Amino acid sequence: MIATNRLKYPVILIALLASGCSSTVAFDFPTIPQPHVEKLPLIVALRIPDEFYNFVHEENVLGKKTWSIELGASNATFFKQVFGYMFDKVIVLGPDDDALDYVFDALVEPRIEGFEFSVPNQSKTDAFAVWIRYRMQVFDSAGTRASTWTVSAYGKSQKEGMGGSNSLRRAAVLAMRDAAALILLQMNKATKIGALADGPLDISDFDAPKMVENVSFEEDDDDNIGIFAIGGIESDDE
Amino acid sequence: MMNSLTQLSARGSLAALLAIVLSSCVTARVEDARENPTGLKEGEAVVVMAKSYHQGNETEADYIECVENAVGRGSQRLRVVPNQQFVDALFPWFEPRTAPADTKGLVQLMERPGVAEAVQRMGVRYIIWLDGDTSRVAQGGSLSCAAGPGGGGCFGFAWWQNDADYEASVWDLDGYESAGTVTADFSGTSFLPALVVPIPLIARTQSKACKGLANQLKLFIIGSDAT
Repeated sequence: MIATNRLKYPVILIALLASGCSSTVAFDFPTIPQPHVEKLPLIVALRIPDEFYNFVHEENVLGKKTWSIELGASNATFFKQVFGYMFDKVIVLGPDDDALDYVFDALVEPRIEGFEFSVPNQSKTDAFAVWIRYRMQVFDSAGTRASTWTVSAYGKSQKEGMGGSNSLRRAAVLAMRDAAALILLQMNKATKIGALADGPLDISDFDAPKMVENVSFEEDDDDNIGIFAIGGIESDDE
Repeated sequence: MMNSLTQLSARGSLAALLAIVLSSCVTARVEDARENPTGLKEGEAVVVMAKSYHQGNETEADYIECVENAVGRGSQRLRVVPNQQFVDALFPWFEPRTAPADTKGLVQLMERPGVAEAVQRMGVRYIIWLDGDTSRVAQGGSLSCAAGPGGGGCFGFAWWQNDADYEASVWDLDGYESAGTVTADFSGTSFLPALVVPIPLIARTQSKACKGLANQLKLFIIGSDAT
């Protein structure tokens, strides 16, 4: 009995110490407010990849603790909501849905290209920062790729409290709001998706790759017709 | 008995005096520079915002909250629309990346669909943009603590100096112009003497900078006739 008790306390101590070496930040979807932008008169099919329903980012900060950021289905909800605000009609396709079964003006396939964060002891500041990079491929109704656009979003939040979980969560929320602002204000300009309301692209103009139904695209499929743009708000009047 | 009470009272008074003398070690300078007349009509409000971190601003969230609360309290309190409510109501035009950097972009922004209406609905007349931060500029001394089976204690003396430098730019949404700026520069030195027990004598530099700036902002905004 005494031996059991002697063992129990070190185990509890080790468990307490071990729990102090990792931190999990669960992420509730940040509601994107109703934006003051005009909707584009377009029917858009949005193909949500599997990773958007259960995204977890784990990172070990050297010599410190391991952070696990669970975005869950936030990305799926995020794109549905932002596109709902942006286009007249949005058709949500699952990873296995056949796009040919639907009628639309444009099909958009978003992906997470990168998720990074920094904590105060890395940046030597009092702030947590989060970077999210989304890559969006836009296809016309005939399945021809019209453009590729990378959105680089950033959020930063001052350290509050002891653990930092709330600050990191806040930084992630700000990064998603930043992505939403960029998509709402820049996507049409960067991808010319609005032009697809007039019908599919004339592929005789260029040698555009065709969309392959239900197949993911390769990472290195940059093409010579895609529009590549890093985030940033510019005046509409340019 | 009487003697020991007198001694205790004298020690207490000395400690209190020392605490007041040392903890009140904050120097302050608050100034304003007016560009245009200001004033608030019935129902008009202000909103307190932080300048964007995309422009390198590091203003602390708790400082913004403090100024927001302080401006909305006291004898000359102003009606304050909560910062997050304003940002949400005008999404996506006041996000850190998209917020206007100067008053030149205000006219164009107000012409966007729904923006002027949302501002009018909330009754916001002035946007107060905060810039600046509180930072430790100097520190010194040494303090060591030790503990043993018979007890523990600390010995030594440490001090540090914090500077709180903030600037508030006031934009008038009536004429889409800058009304002026209010600046607050506070410097405070904190001390931590320890003779067995450490006695922290903290200069609340940021808190005083918050109150100083908020009081001056209230005077600045209601201080001249509405145009």
